[in-house]
Amino acid sequence: MPRKLVVRTNPQSIAAEQYRTIRTNINFSIPELDSKVLLFTSPAKEEGKSTTAANMAIVFAETGKKVLLVDADMRRPTLFRTFQLGNSTGLSNLLLRKGNLKHSVKASGIANLDLLMSGQIPPNPAELLESDALDELLEEMRGLYDYVLFDSPPILSVTDSKILANRCDGTVLVINTGKSEKISVEKARDSLATSKAFIVGVVLNNYPMTNENYYYHNYNEEMN
Amino acid sequence: METTFSLNKFLKAMYKRKSLILLITLAFIVFSAVASYTVMKPVYQATTQILINQNTTASQDFNSLDIDTNLQLIGTYNVIIKSPAILASVIEELELNETAQSLTERITVNNIESSQVITLSVEDSSMKQAVLVANTTATVFQKRIKQMMKVDNVSILAAAETTASPKPIRPDPVFNMAIGAIIGLAFGIGVTLILEQLNTTVRSEEDIEEMAGLQVLGVVSPVNNDLKMDKPLNLTERLEKDIYANKEQDKKGNAAKIGGSY
Repeated sequence: MPRKLVVRTNPQSIAAEQYRTIRTNINFSIPELDSKVLLFTSPAKEEGKSTTAANMAIVFAETGKKVLLVDADMRRPTLFRTFQLGNSTGLSNLLLRKGNLKHSVKASGIANLDLLMSGQIPPNPAELLESDALDELLEEMRGLYDYVLFDSPPILSVTDSKILANRCDGTVLVINTGKSEKISVEKARDSLATSKAFIVGVVLNNYPMTNENYYYHNYNEEMN
Repeated sequence: METTFSLNKFLKAMYKRKSLILLITLAFIVFSAVASYTVMKPVYQATTQILINQNTTASQDFNSLDIDTNLQLIGTYNVIIKSPAILASVIEELELNETAQSLTERITVNNIESSQVITLSVEDSSMKQAVLVANTTATVFQKRIKQMMKVDNVSILAAAETTASPKPIRPDPVFNMAIGAIIGLAFGIGVTLILEQLNTTVRSEEDIEEMAGLQVLGVVSPVNNDLKMDKPLNLTERLEKDIYANKEQDKKGNAAKIGGSY
């Protein structure tokens, strides 16, 4: 299923405006850092992590800041499909110290937004992430980009996200409204707490339309 | 976990499932209507009025004592009418295929507001039969009371009559449907409450805010189908649509990047 880059295809849509609201709230939640490394994860699979991460990367790039979107899901990578690019080199290669960051990132076709694919699927993603190579890579990323966004596997299924969350400045939990169980959200929260991650907050994906949401839409139409 | 009862939440849940509640209510109304019109057998009622009067020859003028005596008599008569002694004769006379016990259950005797008139009502699945039983009972009672009490003070005031289109007293479809509506509504609300309790998914911002340590950064509404792109745009298309690409320097920069990535 193609990821919906709605902020790209319909910049004036309600959803695009909602992503921009989230951008503002994230910036207010962690204001003190010059370079922000954010992790996007969710309790279970298919809650909209990758879609949210991709759209958030675009709205961050809209502000003129340099943004890197990393596919840290080395088990079920999706970023290369979203942007229709190859997945021959990427994060897994860099963690194995093969190649360098500058040559591994790909242009998204969107100004200020670079992409780092997952790379070839390794047999041991968790071990790769626990290596010192990740710390070094993160340092390099912080030097080159204002925002680094990690799209990661579900937190309750594999340990990858817990390792990453520990190293990132903030973790954003993506929750599928009406599908995610409250209990799994609590488990995800506790799981992140044990890895000493900072939970910036929750994005409620698939949120049913209310009259309040329509306000933005109408407001935009009047402006145009 | 949220345990407190919130009227607002309750009403919201009811509003959300209004169609379900309405459907259940309608189902109950239809069910009671069908049951009333087809399953339940209609029951008719025939009423005979009987006047009890101490018809002594001695004095023509009434005094209150006479009336009191009559009223006391009426109490006795109420019991006598429904006694097997009377009803056995009725059954015999009409050759009914039932016992005095079952007939008693179909007969109601009432005294109208402490008057000297008592009403004898008989229920039957046939109006004609109800009228027949009511009138026969009244005449049998009139005859037998003479023998038993040695008085002739019972007269039939108004015999039961068969009307052209008799209306059954039971079932009352409108009443049944009203009851059905109330039960259906209660049932629908009950089902809604159970469904709400069973649904443990996150459905609102409040659900997240109830969890300690989590704040809502924002919500993302589903993308309308007409707005959704069918397939990801390819790189050149994306460049054309890129608002930043319209700026000269960005165009150059992006073009260079594309060259590098392929």
